[in-house]
Amino acid sequence: MNSLHRSIIVGLLCTASALCLGQVRVSGSGQAGADATLQISGSGSTTLYLFGPGGASKRTVQRGTVTIPGDELKVAGRYVAVLDDSRTSFFVSAAPLQKISFITHPSRVPAAANGAVLGSAYLFDRYQNLVLAPTPVSFQLGVAGSAVEERKVIGKNGVAWVQLNSGRRSGPAQFIASSGEVSVRRVVQHVAADPCNIRMNASRAPDGNILVETDAIRDCSGNAVPDGTIVTFTSVDSAGRSTVDARIKRGFARAELPASSSATLSVAAGVVLGNEIHWGGGL
Amino acid sequence: MTNLMFNLRAAVRLRSAALGLAIMLGPISVQMILVPMTTHAAAPAPLQSFNSAGVSPRPVEDTTSASIQRDYAHAWKSLVVALEENRTELLNENFTGTARQQWQEAIHTQKQNGLSRRIVDHGHSVRVTFYSLDGSALEATDTADLEIQYREGGKVISTERVQAHYLVLLTPAENSWKLRMLQEVPAN
Repeated sequence: MNSLHRSIIVGLLCTASALCLGQVRVSGSGQAGADATLQISGSGSTTLYLFGPGGASKRTVQRGTVTIPGDELKVAGRYVAVLDDSRTSFFVSAAPLQKISFITHPSRVPAAANGAVLGSAYLFDRYQNLVLAPTPVSFQLGVAGSAVEERKVIGKNGVAWVQLNSGRRSGPAQFIASSGEVSVRRVVQHVAADPCNIRMNASRAPDGNILVETDAIRDCSGNAVPDGTIVTFTSVDSAGRSTVDARIKRGFARAELPASSSATLSVAAGVVLGNEIHWGGGL
Repeated sequence: MTNLMFNLRAAVRLRSAALGLAIMLGPISVQMILVPMTTHAAAPAPLQSFNSAGVSPRPVEDTTSASIQRDYAHAWKSLVVALEENRTELLNENFTGTARQQWQEAIHTQKQNGLSRRIVDHGHSVRVTFYSLDGSALEATDTADLEIQYREGGKVISTERVQAHYLVLLTPAENSWKLRMLQEVPAN
């Protein structure tokens, strides 16, 4: 019901007793914050009580036309006007959309992850009422300079939600929810996913140890895995196992393993295994 | 044995007295039945049904469902008492954000004007319509069977019984779910 003109007698609930003195009709746009007019039959003054979800008032009015200022009708919901022994109720609906409350999750997400980015948009008017009318909402997600994923959704009961894949490129992604002129922006940091195809090389260090160094470590979308990520180098020889954890620095990881005439060298980062090198004469 | 006889005699006397009182108060009792809502209205808000089947985008877990039913019923109980006694502080525990602000304002203006609302809550049928994937919000519709008495001071100025339809938005707090929106909507 977006217009009280159409259903002015909505909620005309004049009590069924013989004491019912007159009728009340309500007109107005029916939107939050807009004036409403009561047409009260009869003559003389009476007391008008108005009960709503955001207030309750009492006033003496002259029968005829009585205006209820929009200030008293800012909260959407059902209002009940009582006078004499008559009672009428009418609904006030939300005003046009003015604010989107946009909740996104998570704030950091690996690149190229399916359905990893969630967004819920709650649609409000200027008085904080939920806008219940079906409202188109557009969601956009993307890192600057890369393809933007866009989804259009019809908000229902004041809520529109979306679940999107993260982009392939790392960086700060703009996640935007918009409807008409109203737009809200959030940043979802896209970070490189797990490394892809770690490759290492081995050489003899001047002191005789084994110097191992990776190629540039990237995820499967080509994003550099962040510096500081731990890479584990392992050497297994007849003397046992040696393990060294090294952090990626400027895209590469390097370490020295104990000297050995024959060893199997391996590299891993998280759950991702790299190549294996048989050093010297083999085991 | 003496004690038993004494108790029996006392019980018989009590029954006779009660019967006499009932006969004396007969017409008054009938009148009390005819005048609605003469008893105190702070009864708990029963949830007649709570349906979260098929909700999207995330199903409601059993423990979440139990918490929501408990907290929503408690929120209504608080609202009923707060509106009747004009006590805004009662909304602090179960309401937050817009709902708390709006209903506190309603109570504040009621109090200013010497008005109040007494609600007899005959129950709610709640259906969950949305539960966000990250669990940060839950939306539901509630059909409530309410008997509302509009009062000025001690005087009843109007009474109605309504099937009220609400759109409800709940958000989790530290230990409970809180009502963030409680917006009455037309039936359809």
